[in-house]
Amino acid sequence: MHVIFGAFPFMIDNVALLLTKTGDHLVISLIPLLAAIALGVPIGVWLGHAHRGEFLAVSVTNIGRALPSLALIAILIGFVGIGMLNAMIALFLLAFPPILSYAFQAVDSIDRDLTRAARGMGMSPGQVLLKVELPLGLPMIIAGIRTSAVLTVSSATIATIAGSGGLGDVILNQVAYGMEGVIAGAIWVAVLAILVDQAFALLLRVSAPAGVRQLQSANAM
Amino acid sequence: MTQHSTGTSITFDRATKTYPGAAAPALDALDLEVEAGELVCLVGPSGGGKTTALQLVNRLVDLTSGDIRIGDRSISDQSAIELRRTIGYAIQQSGLFPHYTVAHNIATVPTILGWDKERIRTRTAELLELVGLSPVETWLSRYPAQLSGGQQQRVGIARALAADPPVMLMDEPFGALDPITRVAVQDEFLAIHRAVGKTTLFVTHDIDEAIKMADRIAILKPGGKLAQFGTPSEVLSNPADDFVAEFLGSERGLKRLALTTVGEIVPGRSDRASAETAQWPDVEATMTLREALSVVSAARAEGAIVHKGGNRLGEVSLHDLIAPPVAVEDREGVRT
Repeated sequence: MHVIFGAFPFMIDNVALLLTKTGDHLVISLIPLLAAIALGVPIGVWLGHAHRGEFLAVSVTNIGRALPSLALIAILIGFVGIGMLNAMIALFLLAFPPILSYAFQAVDSIDRDLTRAARGMGMSPGQVLLKVELPLGLPMIIAGIRTSAVLTVSSATIATIAGSGGLGDVILNQVAYGMEGVIAGAIWVAVLAILVDQAFALLLRVSAPAGVRQLQSANAM
Repeated sequence: MTQHSTGTSITFDRATKTYPGAAAPALDALDLEVEAGELVCLVGPSGGGKTTALQLVNRLVDLTSGDIRIGDRSISDQSAIELRRTIGYAIQQSGLFPHYTVAHNIATVPTILGWDKERIRTRTAELLELVGLSPVETWLSRYPAQLSGGQQQRVGIARALAADPPVMLMDEPFGALDPITRVAVQDEFLAIHRAVGKTTLFVTHDIDEAIKMADRIAILKPGGKLAQFGTPSEVLSNPADDFVAEFLGSERGLKRLALTTVGEIVPGRSDRASAETAQWPDVEATMTLREALSVVSAARAEGAIVHKGGNRLGEVSLHDLIAPPVAVEDREGVRT
């Protein structure tokens, strides 16, 4: 038990170390996440808009879920060697599937009557996308990003085995930092993941269009 | 007073649609002329192609062969998107955008067309008045989720009318409403239709709705063939074939009575002995013969006393109700 309590003095004594590692950790997580957003959201939205590629969106998600991140990093060491790039590619591959499939679902699942009404009134495909599909799909798109963000931040820990740095350096190095350090690092990562999750939860609430929020509260009653 | 463009005819010229992979056409060589200002109901069982026929007009579905003209102009002469902006479109469940306010929903097409804000604001207010949502300020900033089904449908109609299109397409617009709301919205829509005179193509699976709403009814049968096209009275009196007769149902004689109101046949005050009429029930002049018959039957009487706004107009006998002396065949004159 004293080991767990020992984690807190460790945090105080090593604030500088933990902050530096947190910085690295966020960089390793954020870059793959942004890349996955940049790629996954447009592809998912486009497929959803066209109501095509459900098979692709679902398969990518399932493959993504089935891939153990540790194995991924190990395999990638064979291809790209040790270092940050390896870890980032692995994290990108983890982050991409949820973003893609949520973005697809977000747009694909919008009531067809609404898009039919929009087209029937003379909206161009671009107007249907910008005025109807994206505003209504936005909360779900953000939900996908939220899932991936938490996944990336927590998984970045194991990226240390590819020599990428981050908080995993502390957690996986009991020899240097002791059990207190391992636990301190683990708590730190957990708190980081929760913070990221809550930040997106907030964004999610703000992103729901006003009329839809009304709908949600009306349904809740 | 609101200015409205008058309606334009819609002509189906051997309009045919075969969906990819389907062996038989969904709509088979439909010839139909909807006159300017007319309200035509497309009815039929599912698989009759009525929604297909409707969506061919605004090119949500593309013709396989044949042509459709609005006025003198073929729908294929302009881009689908431009075409749709000149056609009002209302659908079941209203199709209102949940993230738009009532005002924003109604302004959809005017906004696309680039109207200035003041013009849109004025138009929105006019339309809300027209569909009976007043005072206007109460409704403008509400969201669809805050409205009842009937209110949503009224906004849906206002939205379809927004850019003052000469032609309206309505796809089972009242299908999801409860019976009481439905009757109210039907009555309001008929009044609006008479006021604005838009050529309207109205899809419904409910023959009673068609009988009530339509100037003429087009009955489609499975395979997308036109079974009969005529006024409600013609269709009910002379079904073209067994399919139509069956579709109209065994109560078609009674349905025909629903085309006429008691007020239209009441002969005026008679010199009937008051002893004879003492036990007769009261009916309103706005009731249909069918409804009045129901009242008379329930009262086990030989006739009914007709009132209008508290004034006694006269009496109708049971015989007058089941074999109306006048007015049924003049019905079209009454409607236009």
